[in-house]
Amino acid sequence: MDRYHWLLVFHMAGAFMVLGGAMMAGIFNIAALRRERPSEIVVLFRLTRYAVTSILAGMVVTLAFGIWLVADVDYVKWSNSWVIVALILWFVANALGGIGGGRDKRTRQLAEQLAAQGDQPSAELRTRLRDPVSLALSWGSGLAVVAILALMIWKPGA
Amino acid sequence: MVAIIRPDSWNFPLFLHVLGAATVTGATAAAFVGAVLSRRWPWLRRVVARTLLLAVFPAWLLMRLGGAWEDSRSPIGDGSTWLGIGYIVGDAGFVLLIVAMILGAVSVRKAERRWPIQAVAVITGAYFVALLVAMFAMTGKPGS
Repeated sequence: MDRYHWLLVFHMAGAFMVLGGAMMAGIFNIAALRRERPSEIVVLFRLTRYAVTSILAGMVVTLAFGIWLVADVDYVKWSNSWVIVALILWFVANALGGIGGGRDKRTRQLAEQLAAQGDQPSAELRTRLRDPVSLALSWGSGLAVVAILALMIWKPGA
Repeated sequence: MVAIIRPDSWNFPLFLHVLGAATVTGATAAAFVGAVLSRRWPWLRRVVARTLLLAVFPAWLLMRLGGAWEDSRSPIGDGSTWLGIGYIVGDAGFVLLIVAMILGAVSVRKAERRWPIQAVAVITGAYFVALLVAMFAMTGKPGS
């Protein structure tokens, strides 16, 4: 295997960590929407943290090896529109995920509080779980990542 | 070099294949984690069963059908070891995931039995590792 393929393997591994982590987070997020007991919702939110760790690590790995690939190969330039748009989307995905994650953290803290106080279903928790802004931020972040994958494959303007 | 000179008509099947491969890996990891932790929280068995049926299997279909479509258009890798590894992992996944889905459903219906969900944990854990090996082989194309 030459250096290009090794760089591509690590870049792709990072992409798998991001997309796979997003899928995992989505699964636990949807499962949490279907539960009523705060203690069960807490468990699913804690599982989501594994996914978030994978996403964050994958974001760093994709960026680092993506930059290395652009610097290393002759036929990709920093001025290529798909490279620029991909970098912008990388920041957009992180920003949306970060804001959405902050709101999810407050929902998890409410669920933990309710679990410690009798573990009864709560209308407030249900409303927070279905908060359209939080859902839009999290799913929007995932869509931005899928858009980056599309750019990597089509390379428009290359 | 191949990636940059790929004809446009190959891009959509490749996009579906890579998206399916990444999401089946994440969904398999979610099923594995759920199956392992269902020992402590038995209600996670239902989450695992639903994940296998509604996330892992559809993502596997996307990966496998996208890959077959891509392979029908592109001559790259024909007869190579890395493509063979991809096909083995893809096709073995069909059998493994069907078995895992059945066992996942059994673990929900027969709550007193622990072995079905334990078997799901073993199958999904093994398949997760196989998917990572396939990712390495298909991206790095060793030996080509």
